[in-house]
Amino acid sequence: MAGSIANFLLSVSLILSISLIFLLTIKINKKNFENLSVIYLCSDGIFYLLFISFILLVYSFIVSDFSNLVVYQNSHTTKPLFYKISGSWANHEGSMVLFILILSFYLFIFTKKKIDPELKCFTIIFQLILIFIFLVFLIFTSNPFTKILPTPVQGLGLNPILQDPLLAIHPPFLYFGYVGFSIVFSFVLAALMTKKLNSFWSREAHFFILLAWSFLTIGIGLGSFWAYYELGWGGYWFWDPVENASLMPWLAATALLHSNIVTQKKNLLYSWTALLSIFTFILSLLGTFLVRSGVLNSVHAFANDPFRGLYILITIFLIIFGSLTIFLLKNPSYQRKNNSFFFQKDNFILINNCFLIFFLSVVLVGTVYPIILNAINGESISIGPIYYNSIIKPFLFVFIFIMAYGPFLEWNKNSNNSFIKNLLILFIISLIFSLIFLFLLNNKNISLTLGILFSFYLFLTVIYDAFREKKLSINLSRILAHLGFATVIFAIFINGYFAKEINLSMKVGDKKQLENFLIEFKNTKSIKGPNYDQITANFLVTDGNKKVELTPSIRKYNQPAQFTSETSIKSNFINDYYFAINLSQFNDNKISLRFYYKPLMQCLWLGVILIACGGIFGLFKKKYENTI
Amino acid sequence: MFLKRIFLFLFLLFITKQVFADEELKIKIFKNVRCLVCQGQSIYESNSDFAIDLKNIISKKLSNGESEIQVYEFLISRYGEWIIFTPMWSWHTLILWIFPIFILICGGILVFRFNKVNK
Repeated sequence: MAGSIANFLLSVSLILSISLIFLLTIKINKKNFENLSVIYLCSDGIFYLLFISFILLVYSFIVSDFSNLVVYQNSHTTKPLFYKISGSWANHEGSMVLFILILSFYLFIFTKKKIDPELKCFTIIFQLILIFIFLVFLIFTSNPFTKILPTPVQGLGLNPILQDPLLAIHPPFLYFGYVGFSIVFSFVLAALMTKKLNSFWSREAHFFILLAWSFLTIGIGLGSFWAYYELGWGGYWFWDPVENASLMPWLAATALLHSNIVTQKKNLLYSWTALLSIFTFILSLLGTFLVRSGVLNSVHAFANDPFRGLYILITIFLIIFGSLTIFLLKNPSYQRKNNSFFFQKDNFILINNCFLIFFLSVVLVGTVYPIILNAINGESISIGPIYYNSIIKPFLFVFIFIMAYGPFLEWNKNSNNSFIKNLLILFIISLIFSLIFLFLLNNKNISLTLGILFSFYLFLTVIYDAFREKKLSINLSRILAHLGFATVIFAIFINGYFAKEINLSMKVGDKKQLENFLIEFKNTKSIKGPNYDQITANFLVTDGNKKVELTPSIRKYNQPAQFTSETSIKSNFINDYYFAINLSQFNDNKISLRFYYKPLMQCLWLGVILIACGGIFGLFKKKYENTI
Repeated sequence: MFLKRIFLFLFLLFITKQVFADEELKIKIFKNVRCLVCQGQSIYESNSDFAIDLKNIISKKLSNGESEIQVYEFLISRYGEWIIFTPMWSWHTLILWIFPIFILICGGILVFRFNKVNK
């Protein structure tokens, strides 16, 4: 019942969107912008319709309506309620519903903005076209309300690895990020069409860019955190194609965010900002394609279907072609002259934009090239972390150096020398700090030294930056985000070089001294969970005078019958102690385990939170303060 | 006698360091070899039969004095390039290095021109 209603609602919104597109086209041709409130009402209507069908899908999951194919394939009556709900977007069809819902959500908030009617109408058209394309995709290739007859009594259950609180909320965040760039995309195409790409556009777009960027940051952070504790390999970033798929739009969006600031402040770089807006959304779509099409060998590639992949691929090509055509035909040629010096803020932002695009191209080529090569001559190559690390690392240091320097420069004149002198002092301090630090830790690695040096330098300059202005709130957004970035880089370097990994096999009562850890296997315990049986092993780890109890476990889920290894992580803010049981090796009562010692992981997460906070703070900043 | 002891000590130190380095090299190689039967894991991270067999083979080859490159070449000849995470240098992987650098150079030129136009 719910399924048929929802299906009907989806069809109505499809018809509504196509008729609105026609209506708006006629209005624009006639240059008649009266009675727009009807149009706004209809576009809100699309959002409500999609929202109701989404709720109906969630409802089908909650009541375990197995006459619905998607529910049957991804749910089970014994699953906890929370995972029944999250199960509705943990599959291909449901996640597409969420995707379209968010597309219409951004349209919904966009129509509430006070903007020139022509610009607004164009934006609504472009956004509606996107909604239309994806609705067709949803209804005809991946309908979430397909019925099965006869109705099965029980569902197949959700992949246990997806039954995790973080994974339940990670996709919505990521989607709010990805899809948020759709409105920036539509808005920039509209501005190009109407020749209204000006500082007003840039100010309005800033809000949406920042909003989507903050969501994307949180989404990536959550995904990374999930991988860290759920996959159990002690790593937080695997350069897995799906992770890369979310990193690419983030890099493009970060570049966009900064170039848009220059556009806003100096009336420069319009074409560049427009191009970045287009590419950020295209990269988001590419991410969707990579995840959904099944061309990838990855943990995320659930629900693979070549036909769907083909549809999304064709769609992406059409969108790229269409948007770039508009860009090339309508791109305004601004010739604005200003007295400019090399040591000027906009110039440094531009240089770092360049580096961001470089990082983006590394990730892009590393992710896409193996697929292309495979399609061309059937050869398969793998591109692992070593490639990314070795090519990104040297440029990262330069990037950070410029990032530390830039905020102290002026927009319109050569900067005065007192700042530069102070920065030099800070640089010397951080050099001394990093040398002392490494001397104490007894490590002579050059890239580690540079990593600590530059991240600490950035850290110091941001602190200096914070105390330089009388009123903190003016730059707080930037300060938080840059502080977060410094923290993340510092944590990554320390973690990369000081993390330890010990493989061991033990039986109950064993005591082992490995490196500086005394590991004691105390006992095991069986627990019965809502839809799994669990065996927990209790360990006591003594590291110097610190004692940590860890309880890794193995779960046997009943539906689908599958084993998972649950990690146990204890942290004292500086270090993480991390235990995971190997699933496949049991002999002579011994279990084999992996023990990880991971320094500064908490700092890493804190850094990501700070970056996101910077973005969120920027959203709430009052207009008159918008002076970055 | 004293000198002999020192030599012995240095020798042992060298040996232990050598063993340690061997272990590190082994782990480095394990982390760089894909477990073909798993989902995007290296054999270091996997305990599948395939990974265990491969780990034994690699250990044996290393103790026979083969170099890292020789091990990779052996694996590639048997399983194809897919098995190694770090792309080997060859004409069709060259684009992985050239493309980003090309982008960076283009960006550099654009920034330079931006500066010139503004002046």
